Amino acid sequence: MREYVGGGTLGHLAALRDAQERQRREEEAALWKEERERLEALVAPVEQLCEATEILYRATLVAAGFRRHQRGEWRRKREPKE
Amino acid sequence: MSPKNNLDTRQPAGDSPAAVVSAISRGGLEESEKAVEKLRDLLRLAKKDQEDAMPKIRQILSEHPDLAQRFLYLGRMGEDILIERMTREGDLATRELFRCQLKAMREEIAGENPSPLERLLAERIVATWLQIQLFEGLYASGMSKKSMTIAEGGYHQKRLDQTYRRHLSAIRTLAQIRKLLKGTAITQINIADKQINTTG
Repeated sequence: MREYVGGGTLGHLAALRDAQERQRREEEAALWKEERERLEALVAPVEQLCEATEILYRATLVAAGFRRHQRGEWRRKREPKE
Repeated sequence: MSPKNNLDTRQPAGDSPAAVVSAISRGGLEESEKAVEKLRDLLRLAKKDQEDAMPKIRQILSEHPDLAQRFLYLGRMGEDILIERMTREGDLATRELFRCQLKAMREEIAGENPSPLERLLAERIVATWLQIQLFEGLYASGMSKKSMTIAEGGYHQKRLDQTYRRHLSAIRTLAQIRKLLKGTAITQINIADKQINTTG
């Protein structure tokens, strides 16, 4: 929200306060960005584990002759009658 | 369970995940990652042509019988990193307590004579449970300080939701694989006082 407080000393003080506030917010945002990146790196191995496990699980089922029915449950593929 | 932790202090998490991964043996892990990447492509192919993809998937799985084992090790390292972040520096007792608790959970979930895949799935359940503890701790410590910004709160909530979903999905997957590959009619598992029944 913008508020006109006039020029002179009062205007100068208001501009100074705004600049300080802006700087504080920028510093906080930079710190948070850094922290978030650190957190993402922290959980990266677990994320990798989750992804690899999901692929191995699906691959094992496909190798065992299952197929996923319309992204839902896994069903064993019917063997053709001889 | 909430050992006094250092979640409210913004500090580096010790070794970076990349450094830990290199300690595991970068070469071995890279090879496993490539195999998983190939499996991912083949699973895409299997959606269109399962007959063509199935023998190739079987071949990769038989060429890399230790795939599950390698990722199991990655999971343990990941857990160690999280434990370090969640405990105070030098607090070896709490860290050991955490490790013992995770080991007990892992054994209970994996059950008797688990297959490598079951062990890996159990590992994923334990790892995502630990991730939930981390994000719940971070969210709670931010709330108690009352200094959490809207962006931080939003991030933690989103992360918590995502991790809960992943944890529940991990539980369902283990139950499902036990049912499908061992042919049991209904599978029930209890994790952290939550009971999951699966029939599908």
